[in-house]
Amino acid sequence: MFKKNRESFRKINNILHRDLGYFFAGLIIAYCLSGIALNHIDEWNPDFIVNKTSLDFGQSYEMGDISDRVIAEFSSRAGENSFRLYDFPSERQVKVYYKDATLLVNLQDGTGEYEKISRRPLFYQINVLHRNSIEWWKWASDIFAGMLIVIAVTGMFMLRGNNGFSGRGKWLAATGLVPPLAAIIIQNL
Amino acid sequence: MNHKTFFKKPLVILFCMFWMGACGGPQNEPTVQQSPIHEKIGVLLLSHGSHSETWRKTLFELESNVKDRILEKGNIAGTKTAFMEYHEPSIATRLKEFDEEGYSDVIIVPILLTVSSHSFDDIPTIIGLKENPESVEMLRLENIERYTPKANVHITPLLDFGKTLGNNVLRRTKALSKNPEEEGLVLIGYGSEPYEKEWSDLFRKTAEHITRETGISEHSIGWCGHIVRYAPDSTTTAINRILEKKKTAIVIPSLVAFDENFQIRIIGGGIEKIKEHNERVLYKPDAILPDPDVEQWVVDISNKYSDKISNRQNN
Repeated sequence: MFKKNRESFRKINNILHRDLGYFFAGLIIAYCLSGIALNHIDEWNPDFIVNKTSLDFGQSYEMGDISDRVIAEFSSRAGENSFRLYDFPSERQVKVYYKDATLLVNLQDGTGEYEKISRRPLFYQINVLHRNSIEWWKWASDIFAGMLIVIAVTGMFMLRGNNGFSGRGKWLAATGLVPPLAAIIIQNL
Repeated sequence: MNHKTFFKKPLVILFCMFWMGACGGPQNEPTVQQSPIHEKIGVLLLSHGSHSETWRKTLFELESNVKDRILEKGNIAGTKTAFMEYHEPSIATRLKEFDEEGYSDVIIVPILLTVSSHSFDDIPTIIGLKENPESVEMLRLENIERYTPKANVHITPLLDFGKTLGNNVLRRTKALSKNPEEEGLVLIGYGSEPYEKEWSDLFRKTAEHITRETGISEHSIGWCGHIVRYAPDSTTTAINRILEKKKTAIVIPSLVAFDENFQIRIIGGGIEKIKEHNERVLYKPDAILPDPDVEQWVVDISNKYSDKISNRQNN
């Protein structure tokens, strides 16, 4: 009887692990890619491609010099035919706005930085999920996190014998705890 | 019973529940818009927002401390507080409320130190005055709602206009100072990448004010915000620059309100990296708020703008 129950438990366990694994495989990979991207957010922009171009307008300007005509000239140098509006963040700067770009001109030295922004394909979309940019997605994320726990736990009881948890499994599981524990200890030193 | 058949159904149900649960988002309540018929002016105290409850509480307290003084003159009908990100009430939420309550004009008072991408681009983009492409994309990604109100919106200048910050830092420096000749001042602020010069100028002017008033001759500046990726190293470097010349460093967090992440983890963490920090660094993890001068500035700027609006509408 006990043996039969154990067999049933293992079968349920394996089915859960297998089917949840299939179901969540795509999301796991998406979150892993997004996780790597967001880990390196200081070195690159995982969401957007920002193309920057430096411009030299050859002379300095005063705030009073700036008119629609001057802004049109700046825009033309940046490759823009028209602008939406311009504004002064400070006395030494003017910022010009376009549909998907901006131009920040330093009036004192007559230089400018033109920035064109576009979404980084694939990463933008998966980061939308990972950042919970959609209000209701956090509930999906919570369920997903819970299911990952189920996948991890059921994974430990898939096999029996030397290759099961009671065999090599327990040692590998314990070894897997070493890096995070070491990181926590080092951080507290 | 065949396990294959038995578990097929529950798993299918489970998967369905996953997607149903995920897709069951909150429904927006329909809003009733009233057209403003006559002048009704509101004040929106707008700040950055924070995960810290203490931080948010401080900003709500600011509103409750100024509310009566703002309303007593009679031409402002109501005040509200909004946070740009991280927490409700958001700007959109508050502007919708003002519209529903029939306000004709909303004065937005940004409780922000000086120019940054938030003040210059993000906030105007949220309220429909600008359409900065980067802000539009970031706001969408960060799930910050944009809303163009029916009411006329007027944004006041930022807090760096005037002596408010200088006097605030002076008061807090004096409270820590023991021997000005042996001390140097370290100002730590949020900072801004595109407007670093403006931030540095503001902090330099503030430090010069402290020098004139206290005799503390040396100062250095460090950042703790996105510009330094929220790392404590800038704090440590700024303190070390002072400790090369002076016996003691007085560290003043020039942040609007107290947030555990900034005053404790980042700035506090930067201080802990200093050898002999217990003896050589004087630090209190406080903030600009609460400050009666800031409160008075909010009252004054609100009144000034409401007078302008009333005069314009009377003419």
